[in-house]
Amino acid sequence: MSMRKTLALAVSAAVMSTAATAGGHLPFSKDDTRFSWDSLTPFESMDLSGQEIRFDGPWISGDEENLRNVLAYFEQATGAKVQYNGSNDFEQLVLVDMKAGNSPNLAAWPQPGTVAELAAQGELVALRDSVSDAVLNSYSAGQSWADLGTYAGPSGADDMYGLAYNVNLKSLVWYVPENFEEAGYEIPQTMEELISLTDQIVDDGGTPWCIGLESGGATGWPATDWIEDIMLRTQPKSVYDQWVSNEIPFNDPRIVNAIETFGFFALNDDYVDGTADSLASIFFGDSPNGMFTSPAKCYMHRQASFIPAFFDEAYKDKVGTDVDFFYFPAYAGKDLGKPVLGGGTLITMMNESEAAHVFMDYLTSPIAHEIWMAGNGFLTPHSGANLEAYSSDVLRKQGEIFLNATTFGFDASDLMPGAVGAGSFWTGMVDYTNGKSAQQVADEIQASWDAIK
Amino acid sequence: MSKPAQRTLPRLAAGAALTCLVILWVIPTLGLLVSSVRDKDALAQSGWWTAMSDSTQTVFERTEHPDTQIETEQGWVLEGRLEIGATGYDILRFGGSQRDPAAGAVGETVTLKNGNQLTVNADGSYRFVSPEKPWKGSRGKRIFFSYAQPPEFTLENYQEVLTKGRLGQAFINTLTVTIPATVIPVLMAAFAAYAFSWMPFRGRDWLFAGVIGLLVVPLQTSLVPLLRLYSDVGNFFGFEAKGYVGVWMAHTGFGLPLAIYLMRNYMKSLPKDLIECARVDGASHFEVFVKIVLPLSVPALASFTIFQFLWVWNDLLVALVFLGQAEDQIVLTAQLRALLGTRGSNWEILTSGAFITIILPLIVFFSLQRFFVRGLVAGSVK
Amino acid sequence: MSEHITSAIIAIAIGVFGILAYFWISNALLDGFIGRSKRANKEVLREQIRPWLFVGPALFFLFLYLVYPVFETLWLSFKDENSSQFVGFDNYLWLFKDPEFHTTLRNNVLWLLVVPTLSTLFGLVIAVLADRSRWGTLAKSLIFMPMAISFVGASVIWKFVYHYNGEGDVQIGILNALMVALGAEPQFWLSVPFWNNLLLMIILVWIQTGFAMVILGAALRGVPEETIEAAIIDGANELQIFFKITIPQIMPTVVVVWTTIAILVLKVFDIVLAMTNGQWETQVLANLMYDWMFRGAGDFGRGSAIAIVLMLSVVPIMIWNIRRFRQEELGR
Repeated sequence: MSMRKTLALAVSAAVMSTAATAGGHLPFSKDDTRFSWDSLTPFESMDLSGQEIRFDGPWISGDEENLRNVLAYFEQATGAKVQYNGSNDFEQLVLVDMKAGNSPNLAAWPQPGTVAELAAQGELVALRDSVSDAVLNSYSAGQSWADLGTYAGPSGADDMYGLAYNVNLKSLVWYVPENFEEAGYEIPQTMEELISLTDQIVDDGGTPWCIGLESGGATGWPATDWIEDIMLRTQPKSVYDQWVSNEIPFNDPRIVNAIETFGFFALNDDYVDGTADSLASIFFGDSPNGMFTSPAKCYMHRQASFIPAFFDEAYKDKVGTDVDFFYFPAYAGKDLGKPVLGGGTLITMMNESEAAHVFMDYLTSPIAHEIWMAGNGFLTPHSGANLEAYSSDVLRKQGEIFLNATTFGFDASDLMPGAVGAGSFWTGMVDYTNGKSAQQVADEIQASWDAIK
Repeated sequence: MSKPAQRTLPRLAAGAALTCLVILWVIPTLGLLVSSVRDKDALAQSGWWTAMSDSTQTVFERTEHPDTQIETEQGWVLEGRLEIGATGYDILRFGGSQRDPAAGAVGETVTLKNGNQLTVNADGSYRFVSPEKPWKGSRGKRIFFSYAQPPEFTLENYQEVLTKGRLGQAFINTLTVTIPATVIPVLMAAFAAYAFSWMPFRGRDWLFAGVIGLLVVPLQTSLVPLLRLYSDVGNFFGFEAKGYVGVWMAHTGFGLPLAIYLMRNYMKSLPKDLIECARVDGASHFEVFVKIVLPLSVPALASFTIFQFLWVWNDLLVALVFLGQAEDQIVLTAQLRALLGTRGSNWEILTSGAFITIILPLIVFFSLQRFFVRGLVAGSVK
Repeated sequence: MSEHITSAIIAIAIGVFGILAYFWISNALLDGFIGRSKRANKEVLREQIRPWLFVGPALFFLFLYLVYPVFETLWLSFKDENSSQFVGFDNYLWLFKDPEFHTTLRNNVLWLLVVPTLSTLFGLVIAVLADRSRWGTLAKSLIFMPMAISFVGASVIWKFVYHYNGEGDVQIGILNALMVALGAEPQFWLSVPFWNNLLLMIILVWIQTGFAMVILGAALRGVPEETIEAAIIDGANELQIFFKITIPQIMPTVVVVWTTIAILVLKVFDIVLAMTNGQWETQVLANLMYDWMFRGAGDFGRGSAIAIVLMLSVVPIMIWNIRRFRQEELGR
């Protein structure tokens, strides 16, 4: 994924939050019972005034406003100052800074793959035990989130370097309920039902899917999410993990099969709006809008939780009524439970300071999650955070999908090294929709992986 | 060039060819300009060259709430008037299902698959009849229709990019970067160019050859070593490595080779006698430079000033690396690129955003074009 | 915002007056100190020092911002990804085996051939045509205008021109609308290898033609009337005059224009970054370098090696440029 998906996330709140207020104020009063104010108390007794924390991240616009609210409560409690720098060229810029010896104290990475590389290079500071303990104890499925942030340092010893904060949910299928109603379609509960619904729509003269892969320099990433979702639904999690670490090569039959399953949906001209070989030209943010035309160009769109930011103006605020989502179902015939694919950012420390360590502790407190939950574009696995804080039922419903998940898979392309996960995997998917065979594409991706070993 | 009578025919052909070329050159920018003031729905659904004609839109509106239904002999009836009726736009066709949104012409009655009957009149009034069973649901039913939207021009797009798109602040930031980063190198280069043209000193030609050599160094290679230097110096003196001063200095360094090169070529072409006479009369080089050469070099100075202004204003890379990306430092090009990444095909945002970034350079350019051309020519035509 | 403007104004004042003060004070000091000394050769000494006062600041900046980084980059190109270990020529060896690098080199050669040539050609044609048209001045202004537009701005403009809507939809990009009008299939142009390179190049040609036109226009006006008159009397037609007399006369300027644009082409980065980011086989050296330096965890060794290749490829033009300068000096 990445940069582009982060952009997508970033723009989401920008567009959704109608109240474009100046960031960094304190929007919620302490009388508001949706928030766990007591978790802020330990920080109020600290005095960090005069200390500055530089924090670089990918969030801009509306997301930035929400983050600044989170920062504002910390600043007010401790007296420290958090200097946040958001950019959608964040990854490149922070590397420029890092190489120049000018790293920020903290940086938020949408790609754990990069975090692994940086940890090995000794560019990251291991987080304190208080942070890893908090993740283990208060994140649901804490071990998997702790593992996600744990990498080998320069000495080869494992340490926790990244704290997962702000996650998103990818296993969603968006649809227009009234269109379903009008045609008499039911929400599929299994993958088998989803496939037969797909055929049913074609039989009725409609087009089931809208898929768009164009995303400028990151074109292809939406297809990688499809592959990952399918991997989780056709193979056990252990296989998924080995695929991510390349213990199972990319051109293994199990992965080729997942690519072909994506092809079953995407490469059938009857199934997709447009033609299969034009998918790479459709801007991913435009593609869902095919559901909203009259007549509808398609009935369903598989995309992550941030996509409403790209909906047509008339639908942006109508999630839950005029447009809704269901869980991208699992195969009934395979005993793999209900897997969920997600992504998220890892906050790392690049430049150590006491205030930065305290801030990381703050980020593990429920209040730091609830403030953003009350904004937009934020999901969290923090079980201590009050679900009431979510600003809408939609987010709450997505939160539930998280909780019901039996398996959680983190976006594989984000975990892979940049040259693969943000390179050949993307371009391979474009090649696949343009007519190359799944085997050939998988071989090429594996070759690019070998090249950086 | 002389123009004898026999050249009339070629002259006509030349005029036609020139017209074609100019049209080719202008069309892309014209498209941008026209699109930036078009209504965004129209923009997304029809080419900008059709901006002056009606565009057909197919949308839906909802009926009144099912609670308002009346039971009649024909069945349960929902009645009301679509909002489109009040706008005076022509309703073309209508339908009661998204699959067939253009089932009937205005005034007709359409029977849907489920037996319901829908009538929509030209004034937007509708009558939706369900013969079998009462209307249910918590919201009004959808009535689809297409209508002709007359051409509409708006400045809303600009308002949106200036406020939500942060372009207003970025505009100021860019000015803050551009003006000093233009003036400083021009002055510095003027002195150096004078020395290179009229002051004899050891190694002068070699040094100048070196300056020409530096013309071709890609500035990308300089970024990291410089930023490293900045942060060392910054840490030592306790200030931020990224900031306006650093950008000004960087642009100065990167702009100098061309500035010195152009201005030296120009100054060298000034009459030798003029300078030598002044020197013989006892004027120091400093005086000669300030009182004689500088005033005579205004065209070259102006030309390079414009050149540097355009270069700095339009720069993306240097600003990305040497400035923070927060609101107080982000420049127009960086902000526009951000829009390009996140608003992919929201052309109304992109086109008006792009226009804001190019408007000032265009003004500067058109008002000072004469100087620009004169100085450039003096620097490069032999 | 207003404090922003104030600080900008103060900064401008400091910058401008600082420079002026430096030149004025240093000259005054030189005159004062040496003027008072009793040495016989004080005038000579003064005139030996003064040039360095004039060129000093410029040389300082040039050294710091351009010379030193080049050597630093060269050094880094022999080290590994985080510049901690010396790896010799490994980065270069890798580079020359990398298939993406081959595509990139091919593209750069294409850019280098196509853009300067087309810009010069169009510039010359327009300069000639505009000279004999009544609205030539206006025409030249319009052609020159893209010079003022940033690469990013130009990318937006052209992305809109090349825009593609799915088949069957109304095409709002003018290129595809034309294709449809002519009965051809619309295309997602930026993803069509080879052609997409050409389409990116057109953007730079569009920007640079104005530059070529202006310089060549001036050169054309510098062609002596007498030679043309003489040719007309000899019965030469217009084309003959153009190719046999005008072109040879302005050849040196054509070469200057060509090389100036060629240098720019090698540094081109923004257009590719904004339009395709190097996908679909449109990568160029400058963008590839940026990519390697700052993608994933960044690889400075490889990035620097690409930078060095980029610089080496410009060296012939640089040497040629310096030699031309030295010949001119002799000619003066």
